[in-house]
Amino acid sequence: MNEFELLRNITIGQYLPTGSYLHRMDPRAKIVAMIFMVAAVSFAPTILGNACLLAACLLIVWLGRIPLGYAFRGLIPAIPVLALLALMQLLFLGRNYDPASPVVFRWGWIVVTAAVGRLVLVSAARFVELLIVTSVFTLTTRTTELTHGIESLLRPLRRLRVPGHELALVVTIAIRFVPTLALEAERLMKAQASRGGRFDGSRWRVVDRARRLLPIVVPLFTYALRRGEELIVAMEARAYTGGAGRTAYATLQGAPRDWLAPAAALAFCVGMLRAPFPF
Amino acid sequence: MRAPLIVCDRVEFSYAPRGPDGLVLRGVSLGVRPGEHVAIIGPNGSGKSTLARHLNALLRPSAGVVRVLGMDTRDPAHTRAIRQAVGMVFQHPESQMVATIVEEDVAFGPENLGVPHAELRRRVREALEIVGMWEDRDRPPHLLSAGQRQRVAIAGVLAMRPACIVLDEATSMLDPRGRDEVAGVVAEVRRRGTAVVTITHRMSEAAEADRVVVLSGGAVLIEGTPREVFARADALREVGLDLPAAAALASRIRSQAPDFPRDLLTADELVEAVAARVALAAVTSAPGRAAGPVPSTAGSPAVRSRRPEEAGGTRADPARAAGPAGDGPAIRVEDLWHTYMAGTPFEHTALRGVSLEVHPGEVVGIIGQTGSGKSTLIQYLNGLLRPARGRVRVFGHELGHPGADVRAVRRMVGVVFQDPEDQMFEPLVGDDVAYGPRQLGLPHEEVRARVRWAMEAVGLSFEGFKDRYTFTLSGGELRKAALAGVLALRPRVLVLDEPTSGLDPGSREDLRACIRALRARQGLTLVLVSHDMDEVARLCDRLYVLHDGAVIAAGPPRAVFGDGAYLAAVGLAPPEATRVCQRLRARGVPVPADALTVEEAGDAVAALLRGRP
Repeated sequence: MNEFELLRNITIGQYLPTGSYLHRMDPRAKIVAMIFMVAAVSFAPTILGNACLLAACLLIVWLGRIPLGYAFRGLIPAIPVLALLALMQLLFLGRNYDPASPVVFRWGWIVVTAAVGRLVLVSAARFVELLIVTSVFTLTTRTTELTHGIESLLRPLRRLRVPGHELALVVTIAIRFVPTLALEAERLMKAQASRGGRFDGSRWRVVDRARRLLPIVVPLFTYALRRGEELIVAMEARAYTGGAGRTAYATLQGAPRDWLAPAAALAFCVGMLRAPFPF
Repeated sequence: MRAPLIVCDRVEFSYAPRGPDGLVLRGVSLGVRPGEHVAIIGPNGSGKSTLARHLNALLRPSAGVVRVLGMDTRDPAHTRAIRQAVGMVFQHPESQMVATIVEEDVAFGPENLGVPHAELRRRVREALEIVGMWEDRDRPPHLLSAGQRQRVAIAGVLAMRPACIVLDEATSMLDPRGRDEVAGVVAEVRRRGTAVVTITHRMSEAAEADRVVVLSGGAVLIEGTPREVFARADALREVGLDLPAAAALASRIRSQAPDFPRDLLTADELVEAVAARVALAAVTSAPGRAAGPVPSTAGSPAVRSRRPEEAGGTRADPARAAGPAGDGPAIRVEDLWHTYMAGTPFEHTALRGVSLEVHPGEVVGIIGQTGSGKSTLIQYLNGLLRPARGRVRVFGHELGHPGADVRAVRRMVGVVFQDPEDQMFEPLVGDDVAYGPRQLGLPHEEVRARVRWAMEAVGLSFEGFKDRYTFTLSGGELRKAALAGVLALRPRVLVLDEPTSGLDPGSREDLRACIRALRARQGLTLVLVSHDMDEVARLCDRLYVLHDGAVIAAGPPRAVFGDGAYLAAVGLAPPEATRVCQRLRARGVPVPADALTVEEAGDAVAALLRGRP
């Protein structure tokens, strides 16, 4: 309907407050658990293993009391990519991937082996699993919890000169500026359209649309730099001199049972690595 | 007298390393005492903001000394203590928020000071309660209004327990309601004994201070109580400043009635002085005539629908009733509705059945509080939004029609948005003004001719400005360049959203003159959206008053502003001069209730005082 409001509804780290166990969990435990789950996904090349992972994902969605449809909504825009990936694999991998595998389908130059078939299923399943794990994480974690969690987890690395506080601050400010920049982009587009610039055109002519967005990128960049500079002065004015000597307003108080989740995730991850899945 | 909090002693400063020509501050001496309220005023480029940044060691003087609580700002060892003692609030509410939620942003300053956790919590709560934002503590800043964000910024400074707060044009991006919010907070802060330094373009804000410092060309021009400073009207006008409206009115009266008291500063004093003189005259000349409120005899009353809530339902169509008869309207809006994010929990109806007409050659004003639907409405006037419910017709183009030629409409109706920064796409002024004509695919010579014409029309010399970088322009020049960029399309209607907000009085008057000239010379039709009622009263032929998405009154400024009580009910107020007249009438002084300008009101009162016109 409206040619300009495409950016307004960006929600990074969309949060869905249902007050579940996952919502109340210490973000540090949640981050660690998520890392183990992602590792488990990466180490599971078998169909049976991925079936287990999908079941685990459903369990996580249930733990977070997230409506199933909502959890899968993020998948919809990914479907064309998934389909394209599968098609490419089916068409072009042929005998190059695991030549010993038996051929199950042959038509002209197109050859599909059992190994390729399995690969298609596994890569699609992995994609879905990753998406569910990460979206459940953002749906149950506020951005402030995320950044405090990162900061707190990186604190032991300070001796190695890993600037945990600065990294967390960078993430916070980046997230904080997303809606600001989205609104500014909308204003710029409207101002350009008012002076004869064009942003309309078919949704499907992707290249054309991208080219038309180009003229707003430079002014948007200038705007971001200017706001950034002002922010630096404002931060200095509030006595900011870096992480040293700062105290923290938000505190993370993890109950011991919060660490059950990463422990379970670790056990699951090791189990996935060790389990002798037949196929 | 207590020891001074801040002392500036012959401060000199230049941004370029040691260049005597580039001095922004030329020996400024200034003191701020504990609990004092100091206003710093001056035209654009007089060094106000540069001076402000010296007060908490964001900048350090090239020569001279700044001491805060005795600490020299040049010594880095004191920096943290100085920044704790003197907090700053900046102009742009957008770029001083660090965190993604309100309470963590307020905590940022004390966190930097290393305040222990329990104390931190207490301070954040206290600061948010002072500014009245505790309820909103876990909201993200981008969902707050600009006024609320400035209050949060003030809370962020208060949580550091400063001895002084510096507000650097903190209200210039705000609407009247936002300004009132911030003014309320500042009064509360002062009541608690914190010193306040206000840098402002609004003379009425400066009049509230204990002391006013006028900067010009990097040096202190005048310093004194508001009464002393604003008594020197000529000196102020010479550097592009002005008087608060009430003081200007008083000075106008005095120029014609020489025995009228001098040094009147506020509307209260002015009303008292006039009422006292009139009562005295009544006693001496016509004893026995009781003074009472003068019955309202304001000219033709504004056409209005009954009540804002009902306006959506009853189609009184104020547009047609108030519009002058003649040829067809350039723009006609009929029963327009607009809903943002329909079908989501964030659904919000911004327009509820708005109807209006703009006739060729007139100047139409649209006024209303923030959130009343003004900015949504103007986006319909050039087809940025297309009507889903209701009709918008622009020079015969039906915008609701899917096949309407929107590009043609945008050529005929030029919109100049509020923030000129959003409208400059090219680094050089000339290129930027040429953006529109180039989009039209005009030949090079024609583009050049149009750019020249548009720049000269707004008073920017083509040769002098075409190769200037846009970031080197002053606020007023930037507005003019943005205006020229739209004019280069040769529109027939010009829509101006807050054309003069944030400018100093001199550039404001300059830009208004430029708008008047455009109308007179080019025969442009104008739609003006503004919070500045004085501006609207001076420039517009007709007004529409929006409230909560509906037109609740329409008519000539005299009729709309004639009824102060009605406007107050929707959060608006007539121009200051009109308000003074209306208060005088309530006290029984027979002056017109619909005098719009300082000149008109001043002449009427003076005539009365001189004894019977």
